[in-house]
Amino acid sequence: MSTLHLVRQSAFTTNDFTQCLSVLDHQDTVVLMDDGCYNLKHPLMDSLLKRVDGTININIISSHAQARAIKTMAKISHIDMADVVALTFNHNKVITWQ
Amino acid sequence: MTTIEQQTLAISPKEFGLAIINSKAPFSSNHGKDALDVALIFGSFEQKVSLFFQGDGVYQLIANQDGRLVLIKDYLKTFSAFEFYDIEDIYVCQQSLVNRQLNETFHINDVQVLTSIEFGKALNRHQHVLRF
Repeated sequence: MSTLHLVRQSAFTTNDFTQCLSVLDHQDTVVLMDDGCYNLKHPLMDSLLKRVDGTININIISSHAQARAIKTMAKISHIDMADVVALTFNHNKVITWQ
Repeated sequence: MTTIEQQTLAISPKEFGLAIINSKAPFSSNHGKDALDVALIFGSFEQKVSLFFQGDGVYQLIANQDGRLVLIKDYLKTFSAFEFYDIEDIYVCQQSLVNRQLNETFHINDVQVLTSIEFGKALNRHQHVLRF
């Protein structure tokens, strides 16, 4: 069973991202969108990247990051909203963290 | 009550003007735009306004942003009009920048980066505070 996690809030303001990481399982996918893009620079991200052993897939909406002048890193895949739609079909369920 | 006590209870003459605290990121809510509108209205009536950026509000000042990519009219560009409204005191919390791994590159000039203590002191110099 895999879950798609849509992270839409800044972890500097809310603890949504913390809660997301606490339930994150193998084969899950994380998508950073809207203010969730800011989490790229949050210390929680470092811990998530250490956990990524090739099974958890981390993505970011390209235009949302670019609008916020956020520089991304190689481990993060750039996607657009059409890709999110595709991801919803590839996972058993979706959780929106907002 | 003596006259002296009344004077101490009265608002200190050192406290004057309006402080506006910005604490929200720019694109996911209207708070930033609302704060900007209030600042410019007070500015047009020649009222003393100072702007404070704290927490996720510091993202409003970061350079090279483009709201058009997320279909938002980019109100951040209007920040460059502050000088025409005599809004000269713009303060940013240094700790908020450090926590977010942001450097001190802003899209407007004459921004003052203050430590938490200095930031608090600057805020306390104002008679009224609005937080967005």
